[in-house]
Amino acid sequence: MSEPGFENLKALIVEDNAHMRSLLRALLNALGVKDISEASNGQMAIELLRERKSDLVLTDLAMKPMDGLEFTRFVRNSDHSPNPFVPIIMISGHTEKYRVEAARDAGVTEFLAKPITAHNLFARIAEIVERPRAFVRCDGYFGPDRRRHQNDDYAGPWRRKDDYEITEARS
Amino acid sequence: MTRKSSKPKVQLIPPSSYPQMLSKPRAARAMHTLRATDTAARAQAAMDEAMPAMRAAILQYVEEMERAGGDMTRLFEAAHEIRGFAETAAMVTTGRIAEVLCRYMDDITRAGKPLDATIVTLHVAAIARAARAEDDNVRTSEAVASELAALVAKRLSESE
Repeated sequence: MSEPGFENLKALIVEDNAHMRSLLRALLNALGVKDISEASNGQMAIELLRERKSDLVLTDLAMKPMDGLEFTRFVRNSDHSPNPFVPIIMISGHTEKYRVEAARDAGVTEFLAKPITAHNLFARIAEIVERPRAFVRCDGYFGPDRRRHQNDDYAGPWRRKDDYEITEARS
Repeated sequence: MTRKSSKPKVQLIPPSSYPQMLSKPRAARAMHTLRATDTAARAQAAMDEAMPAMRAAILQYVEEMERAGGDMTRLFEAAHEIRGFAETAAMVTTGRIAEVLCRYMDDITRAGKPLDATIVTLHVAAIARAARAEDDNVRTSEAVASELAALVAKRLSESE
């Protein structure tokens, strides 16, 4: 019997490969997640998100007609997004640095390189549960703080010319 | 918290100020589930159960790749699917060769250079052989994968 914790979670899998969708569903089932919806591309996923709440999204990167990057940007930035803060784990075989950076800049919460293992997927989910990240809103970006390691005692020198004023805010 | 004045403002929204995936009590229980040995066992069983279908799918993608001929977009898409889950289907060498091919095609295309048809053909043949080997002849396939990786590295450095 599944242990409690994830049993009421609603998950959304966005993946164009049916075998991978099936495997991800099975792995989420192993955690006790039962309420899972599936979409084969970003456009379909947006429609599903409008119809039902999702607490966690697992998405592929390369899909047609709408890929995982565009989908993530919609979730984070659109006025019509049902939940701009929903955790998004991007799962992709495209592990080239520029693609990972594109995923980060689109606003994904975690990036998981294929081939997937249960251990790696669960580690990303644990990261979301155990160490939720602050969100950042600035010109051109809304999403999880892209700088994971921040030392509040750090007095400089600043790493970037545009290190700017940070204000904590209530959403 | 103010770090530096002037410059555009950034709004930092702490986790306590937006809805979390799980409430704190549920998060604690979820972490227990994530670390439990029976969760790992269930996950492994799920992976094992999925493996035959995934191996069959890999072989379909291999055929798709072979049928692609000179259609490099189609070939890349099939190779990309193979690299994506061949290792999950315990076809490690197949996945590794597909990874080298995808990186080669991606790097060359981004550099605006023409693909070397011989390199592509060699990889397609090696992927097909590794995928179809009943016992996934690791030693031979690993040697082929290493040779191909070295060849690709050489060609990429020449194209810079």
